[in-house]
Amino acid sequence: MAGGTRRRKQPEYFFDYTLLFVVLFLLGFGLIMIYSTSSYESSLEYNDPAYYFKKQAFSSVLGLVVMIVVSRIPYHFWERFAFPAYFISMILIVLVMTPLGRESHGARRWLYLGMSVQPAEIAKLSMILFLASLVCRMGKSIKSSKGFLTILSVPLPICAMVYLITDNLSSAIIIFGIAFLMLFVASPDYKKFMLLIVAVVGAATLAVYTILQLSESGKLGFRGERILAWLDPEAYASGKGFQTLQALYAIGSGGIFGKGIGQSMQKLGFLPEAQNDMIFSIICEELGLFGAIAVIMLFVLLIWRFMIIANNAADLFGALLVVGVLGHFAIQVILNIAVVTNTLPNTGISLPFISYGGTSVLFLLVEIGLVLSVARGIKFKDVS
Amino acid sequence: MNKRKKRLKEYRFTTSMQKKLVILFGLVLLAFIGLSTRLILINKDSGEQYKKQVLAQQEYDSRTIPYKRGDIVDAKGTPIAMSEKVYNLILDNKLILEKEDYLEPTLAALFQCFDLDEGAIRTYVTQNPSAQYYVAAKKLTYEEIAPFLELQNDVENNPNIKGVWFEEEYQRIYPYDSLACDVIGFTGKDNVGSYGLEEYYNDILNGTNGREYGYLNDDSTLERTTKAATDGNTIATSLDVNIQSIVEKHILAFNEAHRDEAREGAGSSNTGVIIMDPNSGEILAMASYPVFNLNDTKNLSSIYTQEAIDAMDDDAKFEALNAIWKNFCITSTYEPGSTAKPFTVAAALESGKITGNETYYCEGHMDIGGHTIHCHNRLGDGLLTVKQGIEKSCNVVLMNVGLTLGIDTFMKYQSIFNFGLKTNVDLAGEARTDSLIFDPNTMVPTDLAVSSFGQGYNVTMIQQATAFCSLINGGYYYAPHVVNKILAPDGSTVKNIEPRILKQSISESTSDLIKDFCNGVVIEGTGVTARPAGYTMGGKTGTAEKVPRGTGNYVVSFMGYVPAEDPQVLIYVVIDEPNVEAQDNARYATILTRDIMTEVLPYLNIYQTQELTEDEIEEMKQKEELAAQSVSENSISGNEVNESVSGNAANQNTEGESGETGDSTQAEEETQSEEKEIQIDPETGYAIDPVTGEFLDPQTGAPIDPTASNLE
Repeated sequence: MAGGTRRRKQPEYFFDYTLLFVVLFLLGFGLIMIYSTSSYESSLEYNDPAYYFKKQAFSSVLGLVVMIVVSRIPYHFWERFAFPAYFISMILIVLVMTPLGRESHGARRWLYLGMSVQPAEIAKLSMILFLASLVCRMGKSIKSSKGFLTILSVPLPICAMVYLITDNLSSAIIIFGIAFLMLFVASPDYKKFMLLIVAVVGAATLAVYTILQLSESGKLGFRGERILAWLDPEAYASGKGFQTLQALYAIGSGGIFGKGIGQSMQKLGFLPEAQNDMIFSIICEELGLFGAIAVIMLFVLLIWRFMIIANNAADLFGALLVVGVLGHFAIQVILNIAVVTNTLPNTGISLPFISYGGTSVLFLLVEIGLVLSVARGIKFKDVS
Repeated sequence: MNKRKKRLKEYRFTTSMQKKLVILFGLVLLAFIGLSTRLILINKDSGEQYKKQVLAQQEYDSRTIPYKRGDIVDAKGTPIAMSEKVYNLILDNKLILEKEDYLEPTLAALFQCFDLDEGAIRTYVTQNPSAQYYVAAKKLTYEEIAPFLELQNDVENNPNIKGVWFEEEYQRIYPYDSLACDVIGFTGKDNVGSYGLEEYYNDILNGTNGREYGYLNDDSTLERTTKAATDGNTIATSLDVNIQSIVEKHILAFNEAHRDEAREGAGSSNTGVIIMDPNSGEILAMASYPVFNLNDTKNLSSIYTQEAIDAMDDDAKFEALNAIWKNFCITSTYEPGSTAKPFTVAAALESGKITGNETYYCEGHMDIGGHTIHCHNRLGDGLLTVKQGIEKSCNVVLMNVGLTLGIDTFMKYQSIFNFGLKTNVDLAGEARTDSLIFDPNTMVPTDLAVSSFGQGYNVTMIQQATAFCSLINGGYYYAPHVVNKILAPDGSTVKNIEPRILKQSISESTSDLIKDFCNGVVIEGTGVTARPAGYTMGGKTGTAEKVPRGTGNYVVSFMGYVPAEDPQVLIYVVIDEPNVEAQDNARYATILTRDIMTEVLPYLNIYQTQELTEDEIEEMKQKEELAAQSVSENSISGNEVNESVSGNAANQNTEGESGETGDSTQAEEETQSEEKEIQIDPETGYAIDPVTGEFLDPQTGAPIDPTASNLE
């Protein structure tokens, strides 16, 4: 369909090698860190120091293959799946309750479909696709309040399901956050966003205040205790604050250049499952501030590339896809580092490409594939 | 298709959107800058503190490697106490429950290999999921755990056996259970020895625990080091398992034979026997009764009935246990009775107060300090030499000798013979007797008189035996000891403990005289029944009435040595309150001596030198045939003898005397002879001990006189 155009104008298409190399570097770095952080525990548990490393490497390779395939497919191909994807992701979340569901670490969040998959990860991708498509369809009506509220209410059912069925608040927040950021870019309005942000911050402050009051009087749920542990991790050192405190110890003991790769002490049983959400603290311990900020710079570079691609995308759909991916990455990286540094209360958010998690890395690479596909749509003359 | 595409293209990513995207990027950048600042602040503000925290929470510990407590071996190298490695079965519930696949295979393997309460273990594991240290079974041998280890190590077939490990420990084992229990002592928790050798040599037997620990090296990396345990030293004793067994066998036989005879209970309150080498002070055997099982020290059932044990409260139980744990031979004190007579005579000879040629006239009693002190033969023994005094155990002769000595000299020799002082034998729990002897400053002649025949002051068996060694070995007072060598775990000698002469108590010539007197006791005196057939022997009997007087409770004893001319082995037998109608009969002790020595002497390669009489040959034959019963036969004959003497009413006059025993009256009685053996000893005038009473034996004194003069 686009063949004629291609031949008529310029045969050369843009391929974002910078993005690809950043992604490859992050993947490789992530694998090294997973090996470093998990080898102690996995050699104790599985008698194989490379147990987690091997599984993650497999997912990464599989993800790279899928990424290349997706990047070769023109992204408009996916537009027709936008609506079905939205509902399929809902069904998958419901399926977690059936015998297909899998439980791990006390939470039922996984589906076994030949391999373990987290429906929440699929929901994130389908949300990006669905919203990009929806905004395109709405056209100018996005400027109205009705359009604004429509877009904002679209992720709510999925967020509610993710939270209620899989008990996964962090994924719900991310999904809503993606929608919010996509709307922010698509809508020309500012005021409404300001108001919304003020409202959210106000509500959060009120919630924290209420929890503090409650803690003096009576019992709290585990989320309530997490808030208290966030405010004063040392007071909850043996309970909810343990992981956070150990992460802080790791960060603080790293110094400027760290103890050297593989030399972390905190990973030796003190920071449980260091290869998961708290992996950034081990990066800080082993590579120091220098390494940590270098990793942050890589993510900045990644997000910068997303921005460039979005701003030069051939059409709105492609641009919004990239914005969604950008939002996804930005939210996860920021929240993860915020949690590790105890800037925000502890909630399970993984660090893209670096934390251990097969589904996560697979779908993140699919998203990168989409972005590369959008990038391919950019004509050189447009860039220049 | 075309239409839709066109429509989509209409909505381009507008400039305002691009602008907002840049703003978004700016916000993201701000967030990253904020987070980086936070990272830097954490490092700056708390970096040092957190660095220390990380080092502080490392586990440097961790594992103690137990040492092996040294063995105790007998003279032939046979272990009588040893430590054996055992294993405690530990369950780590957290690990077992970590995966569902682990629980069943692990439990199945456990129940297959160990005799465990399936229900209880399963309940405990599932109900205490966080418990990581549960001792499921204790003190398993390696053979017991080997099948499980095999299953556990077979990772291919049994990958799911998890959370089970074995903790190493050493268990003290006494291969002979109760043998020499009082001498060996036992070991409680943490290798703390109680009583006997285990306590006295605790530090030598114990080693040093090893340790496996972690530390941080210069680069602050955790390193692990193992420091091996140092095992304890082995002590080689002079005890001989065979001699000890012989002694304990006969003590048991005696106590069983007289069980429930005059009162309820064992054949005696206690029976102690010491066998020593008089020429080195080495103790070859030391035993008392009742015994307890060293491998089960808290078990009273060997002595008490179950009802009696149930009736005890904790204090009573503790007291009862302490009573059986203590070593009678070194802990219990008693009045030695006539076995003290050779010491009094030795002191008088050595100090030159008598020559040994004196004669004294015994009219059956003596008046001293306003008290009338009787001889056991109230009709009097007539004129006696010193030797005859010893042979017949005449109190009047000894009182005369004692008065000749005087209080100061007597007390000086008490000290020379170590009475009132500890012998410092290498066993825990030796009693102090310093307050149980007379004080020379407050001593009155009556005290001196009763002391001369062994009443009024207290001794321990080990004091008496050790001092007697010096009387018969030429005057050399050896330090009594059980251990003669300390060996390293590899078998090399760490220290030799040579016989130590502490002092010269008497001269060799005095020693020769005392030996001559004591030989006479066995040849023609009160100790004839002590002699094992075919051997020459010397010795002295003792029958001491216990405090309070008049209750008929006696300590009967015999101390003797073989061969008579050149003593190679010394035996001291003490029977506390024999369970018989009339206890005042040293014959119980002499018969026990003979029974023990008859077996011990051939074992020690000391050969018979005397012709056996036909009776003796007959008796030996009988013994061989009825090995077990012979002992009880002997003791039956002893019973009959009993009724004869009846001196126990000998307490007429008593008022406060100084010293431990308060009213130490005339209490000493000697069985003067043995009715059946009387024919064997034609010389003795003691033949006619009456069954009816003390008055019926008037003629004893006179006929003996001429024999006595032989001595000079």
